[in-house]
Amino acid sequence: MYSLADFYFHATAALPEIVLTVFGMIILLFGLVREDKSTPQVTLMTVSAFAVTALVIAAMPSEPFKGFMGSFIYDPFAQFMKLLVLMGGAACLAMTLSYNTQEKINRFEFPVLALFSTVGMMFIISANDLMLAYVGLELMSLPLYVLVSIRRDFLRSSEAGIKYFVLGALASGMILYGISLIYGFSGTINFTRLSETLALQDGVSITLSFGLIMLICGVAFKLSAVPFHMWTPDVYEGAPTSVTAFLAIAPKTAVFALLARILFDGFGDMTAQWQDVIWIIAAASMIVGAFAAIPQTSIKRLLAYSTIGHMGYALVGMTAASFDGVRSMIVYMALYMVMNIGVFAIVLMLRQNDRQTTDIDNLSGLGKTHPVVALMMTVLMFSMAGIPPLAGFFGKLFVFQAAVSAELYGLAVLGVLTSVVAAYYYLRIIKIMYFEEPIHVLDKPTRDLEVISGIATIFVVAFILFPQSLVNAAQAAATALVTI
Amino acid sequence: MIVEAIVFYMFSTILLLSGIMVISARNPVHSVLFLILGFFNAAGLFVLLGAEFLAMILVIVYVGAVAVLFLFVVMMLNVDMSRMRDNLKKNMTVAAVVGFVLLGELVWIFSNWHFSEDAELNVQTPFSAEDAMDNTRALGEVMYTDYMLFFQMAGLVLLVAMIGAITLTLRHRPGVKRQKINEQVNRQVKDVLRVEQVESGSGIV
Amino acid sequence: MGLIAVFLPLFSAIFAGALGRIIGDRATQAITCTFLCVAAIASIVMFNSVILEGNTETIKLMSWIKSGDLELNWALRFDTLSVVMLFVVNVVSAMVHIYSVGYMSHDKSKTRFMAYLGLFTFAMLMLVTSNNFVQLFFGWEGVGLASYLLIGFWHHKHSANAAAIKAFVVNRVGDFGLSLGIFAVFMLFGTLQFDPVFDQASEIAGTTFEFLGHQWDALTVTCFLLFIGAMGKSAQLGLHTWLPDAMEGPTPVSALIHAATMVTAGVFLVARLSPVFEYAPSVMEFITVIGALTALVAATIAITQHDIKRVIAYSTMSQLGYMFFALGVSAYGAAMFHLFTHAFFKALLFLGAGSVIHAMSDEQDMRNMGGIWKEIPITYAMMWIGSLALAGIPFFAGYYSKDMILEAVYADHSFVGNFAFWCGIAAAFLTAFYSWRLIIMTFHGKPRADEKVMAHIHESPPVMLFPLIILALGAILSGYIAYSWFVGEDRFEFWRDTLFILEGNDTVEAAHHVPSWVPILPFAIGLAGIAFGYLLYMFRKSWPQKIANTFKPVHTFLYKKWYFDELYHNAIVVPLIKFGYVFWKGGDKKIIDGLGPDGIANSVKEGAFQIRKIQTGFVYDYAYTMLAGVVIFITLFIVML
Repeated sequence: MYSLADFYFHATAALPEIVLTVFGMIILLFGLVREDKSTPQVTLMTVSAFAVTALVIAAMPSEPFKGFMGSFIYDPFAQFMKLLVLMGGAACLAMTLSYNTQEKINRFEFPVLALFSTVGMMFIISANDLMLAYVGLELMSLPLYVLVSIRRDFLRSSEAGIKYFVLGALASGMILYGISLIYGFSGTINFTRLSETLALQDGVSITLSFGLIMLICGVAFKLSAVPFHMWTPDVYEGAPTSVTAFLAIAPKTAVFALLARILFDGFGDMTAQWQDVIWIIAAASMIVGAFAAIPQTSIKRLLAYSTIGHMGYALVGMTAASFDGVRSMIVYMALYMVMNIGVFAIVLMLRQNDRQTTDIDNLSGLGKTHPVVALMMTVLMFSMAGIPPLAGFFGKLFVFQAAVSAELYGLAVLGVLTSVVAAYYYLRIIKIMYFEEPIHVLDKPTRDLEVISGIATIFVVAFILFPQSLVNAAQAAATALVTI
Repeated sequence: MIVEAIVFYMFSTILLLSGIMVISARNPVHSVLFLILGFFNAAGLFVLLGAEFLAMILVIVYVGAVAVLFLFVVMMLNVDMSRMRDNLKKNMTVAAVVGFVLLGELVWIFSNWHFSEDAELNVQTPFSAEDAMDNTRALGEVMYTDYMLFFQMAGLVLLVAMIGAITLTLRHRPGVKRQKINEQVNRQVKDVLRVEQVESGSGIV
Repeated sequence: MGLIAVFLPLFSAIFAGALGRIIGDRATQAITCTFLCVAAIASIVMFNSVILEGNTETIKLMSWIKSGDLELNWALRFDTLSVVMLFVVNVVSAMVHIYSVGYMSHDKSKTRFMAYLGLFTFAMLMLVTSNNFVQLFFGWEGVGLASYLLIGFWHHKHSANAAAIKAFVVNRVGDFGLSLGIFAVFMLFGTLQFDPVFDQASEIAGTTFEFLGHQWDALTVTCFLLFIGAMGKSAQLGLHTWLPDAMEGPTPVSALIHAATMVTAGVFLVARLSPVFEYAPSVMEFITVIGALTALVAATIAITQHDIKRVIAYSTMSQLGYMFFALGVSAYGAAMFHLFTHAFFKALLFLGAGSVIHAMSDEQDMRNMGGIWKEIPITYAMMWIGSLALAGIPFFAGYYSKDMILEAVYADHSFVGNFAFWCGIAAAFLTAFYSWRLIIMTFHGKPRADEKVMAHIHESPPVMLFPLIILALGAILSGYIAYSWFVGEDRFEFWRDTLFILEGNDTVEAAHHVPSWVPILPFAIGLAGIAFGYLLYMFRKSWPQKIANTFKPVHTFLYKKWYFDELYHNAIVVPLIKFGYVFWKGGDKKIIDGLGPDGIANSVKEGAFQIRKIQTGFVYDYAYTMLAGVVIFITLFIVML
C-alpha cells in the first residue's frame, strides 16, 4: 500500500501545482480580510504567485517523472506548456488591473478564480490518465464559468455564463461518456497502460473508437473547434473583455496539451482512427474561422472567430500526427498566445467616455488619433494574418510544412486558402484605422496596457531574428511526447 | 439468479420511464419528483452491483439534498413549461433526427461490444475477496492514499464552486442595518452623548 | 573592434532616426559624425590587426535560421577582403557625414538624411562582412533600400522620385538574378555558408543539368546568375541606366553610394566568390567583355554630357568597367586595388563637384559655369588632384591601379583580354579628355552664370573642405602606399587565401612581365587626352561645336547615351504597359476579377452570411450543433470502417 513517505515522494512531481494552490489559499484569505479594495494587491500577488510557480517549474529537473500511481506525469512537454500557460495567465491578469477598476468588476475573487483555473490547467497538462484529465478540466472550467458572468448585473454577461456552463456540461457529459466507453473496453484509463493495451490489440475496436471520438468531441468544445465552437462568439462578446482575454489565451494552450497527450501518449497506435476526425475538425475550424468573421461588427466577436481559425491551424499540426506536427503545434500555440496578448491589450484600451467599446467602426481614424496604438494593432493584425516576416507567418509556415511532410496536401492547401480569406478581415481593421475618418475619439489608453501590447508587438516583429530558440524549446517539448 | 434478473429489469425499466417522464411531464414539480424516482432506481441498480455505499450516497446526496433543492427552486421560480415546449416543437425534427441516429449508433456499438484481452488484467482488484471488507471501508482505504490527488482536487473544485457561488450571489446592499455586536459593546458614552449649554432664547443649531 | 566598426553606423542611424527630432539638428550631426569617425578609426585598427598582423576572425553573433539542411548564422567575417571594404566604406562614409553637415546646412530634414546615411553604411557593412549568401543578400537589399531612400531624398522633386523608382526597379532585375543565383548555389552545394561552398567548388565544377533540351554547365549558369546581380548593382552595360539618374540625390549621397561604395558591391561580390567564378571560365570571359564595353561606352557618353554630376557618374561607370574586366581576367587583386583608390578620388571628385554646385547656388549645368577658379581655389585644386588621379597621371593613386589593370589584361594574352586592353586604352584617353573638359568648362573661361549667382560665389566652409583634403591625401597617396600590398610583392601575404586564382590564371604576376611599352601607353594616352582637352576647350573654343556639327549623328548618339533609355522604354516599358493593359482590362478585370476576387468575394460574403445564420444565440441550437457534430463523426467512422 501507500505510505506518507510515498506520497511526499510523488508530490514532488506536482510541486508547482501545490505551490500555486497554497499561494491561492493565502491570497484568498488575504482578499477576504482586506475585501474588494485590495483587488490591485491581490492581482499583483497572483501575478507574483504565477512568477514564483514558473520559477519552480524552471528549476525542476527535466527528466520525465510519474507520480500518483502513474496518473500524473511531469516531463519537458509539461514543463514547457505549463510555463506558457503561466506566462499567458500572468499577462492576462496584469492587463485586468486598470480595466477591472474602470468597469467596476474589481472583485478580489477575480484573480483568485483565475489562479485556481490555472491550477486546473496545469493539472490537465500533466494528466496521464483520463480521470485526472477530467477533474482538471472541471477545475479549469468552473472558475471560467464564474468569471464569464462576473458582471452579474449585465444581462449579456450572465447569459454568456449560463450558455457556457450548460454547453460545458454537455461537453463534460461527452467526455465522461467517452471515458466510460474507453474504460469499458480496455479496463484502464491510464495513458501508459492504454497504449500498452492498444499495442497488443490487433484490428480496430469499435467501442474504443467511439469512446475516443466522444472524448475528442468533448475536448474540442474546450478548444472552441468547429462544430463545437458555437458558444465562443457569444461568450467572448458577453464576458468582460479581461475575462475574454484570459479565456482566449490560457485554457486553449492547456487543452491543446491535453489533446496532444491523449492522442499521442494514449492513442498513439490508433492514429488512423483519430486522424480523420481531427482533419475534419481542423478544416472546418479554419473555414468557419475565416468566413464567419467577415460580417462581424464587434471586435470581440471577430476575435472569437479568429481564435476558432487559429485553433484550426494549430490542429493542422496535430493532424500531421508526426514529431514535426507536434513541434509546429507547440510553436503555433506559443505565437498565438503572444499575438493574442497584444491584441487583447489593445482591445482593452478601446474606451469612449470611460466605457468599453467593441464596435469595429470605432477604430476608424485610430491611425491619426492614436498613432502608436494603431501601429501596434497593424503589426499584430499583419502577424495574425500570417504576413511575413512577422511571427504569425512562421507559425503558419511550420504548421503547413508539417502538414505537407505528412502528405496532408489537401489540408495544407485549405489552410493557405483560408488564411487568404482571413487576411481580409484582419486587413479590414487596418483599413478602418488608417483610411477612415475618426468618428469618436477614444480615451487616452493606460500606460500598462500600452507596455504589454508593445512588448508583444516587439516580440512579433523581432521573432524573425531568433526563431530558432523557440523552435528548439518546442523541439525539446515535443521529443518528450512523440518518439521520433 | 432469476430473482436478480427480474429486479434488474424492474429497476431499469422504471429508471428509463421516469427519465422520459422527467422531460415530458407538464408540471415541473412532477419532473423533479420523477427525477427522484429515477435516483432511487439507480440506487437500486447499484445495490444489485454490490456497490451499496454508492447507492446510499446517491440516495442521501442526490435525493436528500440536490433533488430537494431542485424542488424548492422549481416551486419558487414558477417555470412556464408550456412555452419551453413550444420551442421544443420547433426544433423537434432536427432533434429527432440527431437523437435517433445517435441512438442507432449506440445500439450498434453495444451489439458489437467486446473487451480487450488485457481488460481483465488492467482492472485492478486491490482487495481480495477474503478480506470481506465492506464497500465503505474499501473506498476509505484507497481514497486517502492511492487517490489522494483526486480527492484533493475534488476538494479544490468544491472550493472554487463555493467561491463562485458567493461571487455571483453575495450582495452588500447599502442601507441594510446589521447588528454589529463589537461596536455595540464598545460604545462609549462620549461617543453618543453630547451635553450642550443652551442659552435661553436660542435653539440648538 | 570589428563590432564597433560595424554596429556604430547602425546606432548612429537609430539614434538620428529616433532621437534626432528631440535633440535637434546640431547635436544629431555632431553625434552621428562622431560615431562614424570612431567607426572609421576602428576600421583602421581592424585594417592593421586583420591584414597586417593576420588576425582574421569570424564573429558569430547569433543563430538565424536552422531548417533542415539550411543553417545560417548572423556572423561577421573579417578577412582581408572584407576589411579592405570595411576600411573604404567607413572612411569614405565618415568623410561624407562630415561633408554633409556643410552641404545640407540649408536643408530642412538633416536628421533624416543622417539616419539614412547611417542605415546605408550599416547595410553596406553587413554586405561586406557577411559569411553566407543570405546575410549578403540582406545587406545587398539593405543598400538598395538606403539608395532608394537617398536618391528620392528630395521627395518633393518629381524627377528625384522617378529616379529613385528607376534605380529600385532596374536593381530588382539584377537582384532577381542574384537570388536565382543563390537558389542555384543552395541546389548545387546544399549550403549557403561561404567556406563550405568554396571548398566544394572544384568538385562541383563540370556538373551539368538539362534545361530546354540542352545540357548546361551548372556552375556556369550559377555564376552567370550571380553576375547578373553584380551587373545591376554595379551599373554595368545593360543595367546601368539607373546610375546617371541617381544623381538626383544630394551630392554627398552620390559620392558615398554611387561612387565609392555601393556600386562597387558587384566587384566585391565577384572577388569574394572568386573560388567559384574561377571554375566558370566562360562567365569570366563574359565579365571581361561586359566590363570592357562598359568602360568604353560610358566614357564616350561622358564626353558629351553637360551636367557636372552626370559626367562624373558616367566616369564612375567607366571605372567600374575597368574593375570588371580586371576581374574577368582573374586579376582580382588589381580590381580590388582600383576599387580602393577609385573610392578616394571619385569621392573626392563628387564632393568637389558638390562644393562647386554649392558655390554656384545649386547650378549643375557646366554650360552655365566657368571662370570661377579664382573664387574657389581650394575646390579647384581638389578637382585637379581628383582628375589627375582619375586620368592615371604618375604617382597619383589612379596611375598605379589603372596601369595594373591594363597590364593584367594585356598579360592575359587572350582574345577577350586584348579586346579589353584596347577598350581600356581608348577609355583612358576619353577619361583624361572629359576630365579636363570638365575642369576647363567649370573653372576657366568667361563666367557664363548670371551676375546674381556670380556675386554669391564663395569658397565652401571648412567643414566641407576638411573631408576634401583627407580624400585628396588618399587620392594622392593610396596608390603609392598600397601598391605592394594589393598587387606588388607583398600581395600573397596581404590577401592570404581570400582570393582564389587557379593555376596559370595569375595575370597579376604576369602583368609584371609585360613589354615596356604597355605600362607607358596608358600614361601617354592620358597626357594626349589632357592635351586634347586643353586644345578644344581652352585654345580652340569653336572646335567642339564644329566637331559636334560635323559628326552630328555620332554626337547625338552619344549625347543621347547610346539610346539605352529610349531602347528600354520602347522595347520593354511600352510593350509591357500595353501588354499589362490588355491583361488588366481583358484578363484581370473581366476574367479573373469577374470569376475570381469579385466572384469569390461575393461568395465569401454569402458564405459568411450563411454561417452567421446558424449562430442564433439559443443554447439548444448550439447543443444540437454539438450533438450533430458527434453524430457526423461517428457516422463517418462507421462508413469508413
